[in-house]
Amino acid sequence: MATERKASVTWQGDLMSGHGTIESVTSGVLGPLEVDWANRAEDAQGKTSPEELIAAAHASCFAMALSHGLAQEGHAPERLETSATITFVPGTGITKSVLTVTGTVPGLDEDAFRQAAEQAKENCPVSQALKGNVELSLDARLS
Amino acid sequence: MPRVDRSAHVSWEGNLARGEGRISAPSGVLSDAPYSAATRIASRPETTSPEELLAAAHAGCFAMSLAGELTRAGTPPERLDVSANVTLDEVPGRGHLVVRSAISARARVPGADELSFAQAVEAADEGCTFSALVRASAEVQVDATLEGGD
Repeated sequence: MATERKASVTWQGDLMSGHGTIESVTSGVLGPLEVDWANRAEDAQGKTSPEELIAAAHASCFAMALSHGLAQEGHAPERLETSATITFVPGTGITKSVLTVTGTVPGLDEDAFRQAAEQAKENCPVSQALKGNVELSLDARLS
Repeated sequence: MPRVDRSAHVSWEGNLARGEGRISAPSGVLSDAPYSAATRIASRPETTSPEELLAAAHAGCFAMSLAGELTRAGTPPERLDVSANVTLDEVPGRGHLVVRSAISARARVPGADELSFAQAVEAADEGCTFSALVRASAEVQVDATLEGGD
């Protein structure tokens, strides 16, 4: 079954001095949120950016895929703490996503956990969308 | 150019079918936002999903890219309204994949004509880093309209 999610943005003015607003998303959890070039390409000062949202998408997708993989092997996780860090090089694009996970998984050893995490890194839908263009790396450990 | 790192953090508890996660981003715009498998497939108010966050990223990226291209062409936009619609689908033999992101844009751009606008849209799509990423594995559709061009 196909699932659609929509987001809407308004932008006013040029790139360098203008600003935009993420007006709304399907679920209503985001928006209105300010975005601008300075916050995207330089230091984040309390504003989000496309790359931060991709990081959130990747970390959440990876956590789900890993919970599924672990449960299929009979080791549903008690808790997974995941993060994604996206590197954006202005003028070049998005070059890298670094995933980390710390898991509490009763009855599983480090090797099996790392293998499951590696699988999730390769197969979650957001990884599939990024793969090929973006270097993906992973640091997985049990807590 | 400087490189920029942006990160986000998720806590997940339980298996896929009945578990739940919470998403946080350092800017504070997402703080323990809940999501789950059920709300990823069938959207419910107040629960986001990875694909919704991708849609927000793509719309934000495309709007900035188009603003940049129109400015470069000497016609900075007065206002751009951009939506992205991301589709997750089950592909036989490959599981769930992001298969499409459809961009829809309406623009108010003093001084731009249809031709220069169309060129800026094409350049914006090529230049938006996220369009390039999605296009490698999925379809990107762009539908852009110039309002009241003069």
